[in-house]
Amino acid sequence: MLAGRDNVETLVVLQPIAVDTGSPDRDGMLAIANGLLVAVLVRLADPEHDNVGSWFFEVGFGRLHGKKAPTFLSLEEATRWLRRHLKLA
Amino acid sequence: MQDALIRKLESFEELTDADRAALRMFVPRVRQVGPRTDLIREGDAPGDVHLILSGYACRYKDLPDGRRQIMAYFVPGDFCDLNVFILDQMDHNIGTISPCQVVEIPRQAIEEVTTNHPRVMRALMWCALVDEAVLREWLVNIGSRQSDQRIAHLFCELLLRLEAVGHVNNNSYAFPFTQTEVADTMGLSDVHVNRTLRELRRLELITLKGRILTILDVPHLKAYCGFNPNYLHLRNARWSGRRQVPWLRNVQGG
Repeated sequence: MLAGRDNVETLVVLQPIAVDTGSPDRDGMLAIANGLLVAVLVRLADPEHDNVGSWFFEVGFGRLHGKKAPTFLSLEEATRWLRRHLKLA
Repeated sequence: MQDALIRKLESFEELTDADRAALRMFVPRVRQVGPRTDLIREGDAPGDVHLILSGYACRYKDLPDGRRQIMAYFVPGDFCDLNVFILDQMDHNIGTISPCQVVEIPRQAIEEVTTNHPRVMRALMWCALVDEAVLREWLVNIGSRQSDQRIAHLFCELLLRLEAVGHVNNNSYAFPFTQTEVADTMGLSDVHVNRTLRELRRLELITLKGRILTILDVPHLKAYCGFNPNYLHLRNARWSGRRQVPWLRNVQGG
């Protein structure tokens, strides 16, 4: 049982949430891993951003706290990144 | 060029004829350096002391994960590495932001003149102490201010530093930094820098167009970030009459 634990993928669930960022970027996702909130992602909507439409790692909690992340072209890409970094920690 | 240096140091300390003569013995080299070019890298043995005559440069460290932290900006009239040249090895990098005119003064020449000329030594120490005071303020800025106030504080500081060397026109100055460079300086993400600039524009505190930053309401921007210019030591009680810093304009004009 224990030996197999590392192979079990962390289950990341996304849940839509509106976020007040003081800017037009307001469509967000709560990222929940194994039942715990680990990050908030926000879709960049302000046309002045370099990568409008991408998902920005707005804030991380626990082992993702203070982490710098690239912006993600899709939620799948964001989820993969979250899983990898939750596992590495 | 020696005269430029003499005028700069005289704005801090009264020099004698002998001091001035010693400084004239320097044969500094002036170099044109392109934008985003390193003047000296971490690990290098520091040789010359660099003084920026025109353009902007910065002090930074590369981090193992590929990011970087900028710890200081240099504007015309600033020494980049005055207190570093005594060390054997650079523990950080110094690089240009915009194209720069850089004066290189050999370390040996500085050592000779400071050994025999205590007033020159004191003037150079003044420069180094102000650099330290700025670094302390940046530490406060990054550690204790919100992102909006942090960037507003940087804008106020640059306004005063550039004003002191005649590089401000109607509260406007050159701002060649990219959003990423500001982010690397302030410990923020590009996204946060972009949002902050948007907010400062919305509040009609600044405009940033064509790499020219204009502060629309200086008292308001200062109040917004609680700016206290004391750490820049721009007005020294003893030498305030002399601290006009006309030397830089003369150099660039001639």
